[in-house]
Amino acid sequence: MNGWRTLFPNAWYISGREFRGRVRSRSFVLGTVILAVIAFAATQIPVLIDVVTSTSQTRVEVVVEASGMPADAQTELTATLNSQSATADHPPFVVTWLPGGDLVSAHRDLVQGKFDALLIVARDPVGQNLGFVLQTDLASDGQAVSALDNASVLLALDDSLARAGTSIGAVQNTSFEVRAVNPSSGAITTVGQQVSTNLLSTGLIVLIFMAIITYGTWVAMSVAEEKGSRVMELMLNATTPLQMLAGKVIGNGAAGLTQYGIILAAVVGGLLAQGPIHQAVLGGPSSGAAFGGLDPVVLAAFGVLFVLGFLFYSLLYAALGSLVSRQEDVQSATSPLMMLIMVGYFMSVFGLQSIDDTWVKVASFVPFFSPYLMLARVSTGHVAPWEFGLAVVFLLAGIAVALVAAARIYSAGVLLYGQRVGLRQVLKAARVSR
Amino acid sequence: MSLIIDSVSKNFGDVHALDDVSLEIEPGEVFGFLGANGAGKTTAMRIVLDILRPDSGSVSWNGRPNTEVSRATWGYLPEERGLYAKMTVVDQLVFFAKLHGVAPRKAERETRDWLDRFRIPEYADRRAEQLSKGNQQKIQFIAAILHDPQVLLMDEPFTGLDPVNAALLKEAFQEMKDRGKTLVFSTHQMDTVEELCESIAILDRGRVVVGGTVRDVRRATGRQVVRLAVEGDSQIDWLDGLDGIRVTRRGQDYIEADVAQGKDPGVVLQAALARNCRIRQFEIADPSLEQIFIEHVGQFDTTERTLAPSTVNA
Repeated sequence: MNGWRTLFPNAWYISGREFRGRVRSRSFVLGTVILAVIAFAATQIPVLIDVVTSTSQTRVEVVVEASGMPADAQTELTATLNSQSATADHPPFVVTWLPGGDLVSAHRDLVQGKFDALLIVARDPVGQNLGFVLQTDLASDGQAVSALDNASVLLALDDSLARAGTSIGAVQNTSFEVRAVNPSSGAITTVGQQVSTNLLSTGLIVLIFMAIITYGTWVAMSVAEEKGSRVMELMLNATTPLQMLAGKVIGNGAAGLTQYGIILAAVVGGLLAQGPIHQAVLGGPSSGAAFGGLDPVVLAAFGVLFVLGFLFYSLLYAALGSLVSRQEDVQSATSPLMMLIMVGYFMSVFGLQSIDDTWVKVASFVPFFSPYLMLARVSTGHVAPWEFGLAVVFLLAGIAVALVAAARIYSAGVLLYGQRVGLRQVLKAARVSR
Repeated sequence: MSLIIDSVSKNFGDVHALDDVSLEIEPGEVFGFLGANGAGKTTAMRIVLDILRPDSGSVSWNGRPNTEVSRATWGYLPEERGLYAKMTVVDQLVFFAKLHGVAPRKAERETRDWLDRFRIPEYADRRAEQLSKGNQQKIQFIAAILHDPQVLLMDEPFTGLDPVNAALLKEAFQEMKDRGKTLVFSTHQMDTVEELCESIAILDRGRVVVGGTVRDVRRATGRQVVRLAVEGDSQIDWLDGLDGIRVTRRGQDYIEADVAQGKDPGVVLQAALARNCRIRQFEIADPSLEQIFIEHVGQFDTTERTLAPSTVNA
């Protein structure tokens, strides 16, 4: 371990070579372009949803068998059905009013697909109340049916009020809103924001998860490549294993950050473009994205956990990569690590549902899982600052241990050739090599 | 002022890769490591380079332990050759030199000099994967010397080179020797050793069986060899019948025979004249290194005893 004093500049040279080699590779360029396009497209999903909902229309024919309906019954029903829509140009419901209509031809029109639903309005001869029958192939629990249900009830209410000599206008604008209370911060948010926060947490966790797996594999691949092409022996004379290890982790990490930066730029660009695109396609303002509420504190925590998590895991990837002689074997050699990462990921996905459980709290301090679970806790606001600090300290300690262990395994592993080197063999060799 | 390997032993599990090996290599000397596959040549070099640590014993250069000597002291051409496939020749040579602390501009200038000398200047900006094996080998040699190391350790430098390229490499050896560098290389090719080396060591199963200057090693057998060629008789069957003479090789050009210790090689010449042969060639020499090698090590071992089976390049 005499490499500490002389870690640089060789680690810089190696990381520079790794970075350039990686960024210039076809897989990097292609992968970055594809991911950036996907990321940009993903930000336009709210616009797409608006487009779909605005162009999909439910055509309803209403056969009125009842007599003595309120004069504004048709306008009333249409307005209620379309009250949730922001766009006036493409109302979600088109209502065709057939007072005393022909039920047989109306039914035929429904079967032929000229209409999506047939609403029959009749009056109960005894109680004089309105009764409704809906014939449709729309999903019975779908939004359209429940909207028709609500509108029908309102129409019946209006009708009975009219018969009683009063009007519904007074109660129509009643609103009902649910607000979520954060138990630790006490902050009150709308349900929309709550959903948005959970979505954001999941998104950030997926970002870290993807980064560790993808870029960690890069590190392992690059170690195996050097070993496979036997350029390793030339390197071993020129540098120390620690310099190589540091160079590889830094170089591939920087390449990974570059890719992430480009993808993030695409996301930000997409979010900025959302408004103008919405304007251009639909001629109205966006009905709101699901990406709001990016808290700077959460972003900072994400940055810290992202970098430390990557460092921690990529050291382990490098150690495992040094055990194989060919790039084809990297996948199988690193699969234990993959399992561990998956476990952490799923723990955080389930943990988001029960963020205050003890097991979530405990696991969020374990270096293998803290990049996910601590992030989940931070982003949902269920954590005290000292807890985050402690997790970071543990993670740093984990990195130090991983560095020493990885350097040992690495310096022994890179000289061992064969189909597959067992861990015992490596540990044995690690004791005698420098 | 020399490279001293002092009682070095190294085991890999049950295999004794090196067993109490001691050698002294003089500065400015060309030194040959001879041995069958798995004799311990590569392990010895890796221990000198401090890539591996010995189980016991030590290595020193100019009185300083090799663990304290600057890495730039050594130039290493590994047996398993490798370059970064996607990097251009100049880029990677400059990269390797930079790791040893050479300024990039100087490294690039010298790289192009050496490429000229090896008659491959046009490959400077090609990627390594586009080069033939022989040319890659020359690049690797340049990588080993670009930082002007004091000691060059080369594992089988001539393997896989055609005669023209082998001659170019020998020229480069000479140049390094003229610059006062110490050259250590391993090989199977005995003629190359006789041509280049001042001193040798023959390794067998991790032990030095013979060592010293080439001349001393050859004289030490006490035997002599005669080479005889006569007109019209390529077999010279009667030679085997002479007392103390044993035919060792029947070549196309001449017959080679061992003369037992204490016998006069002249009896061969007398016998030939007595038979009225027209002698084309008669030569008395020390035994060849190849014969000495075979005497000490036995036939070239065809079974791989290498500890690091090369599954990749095989």
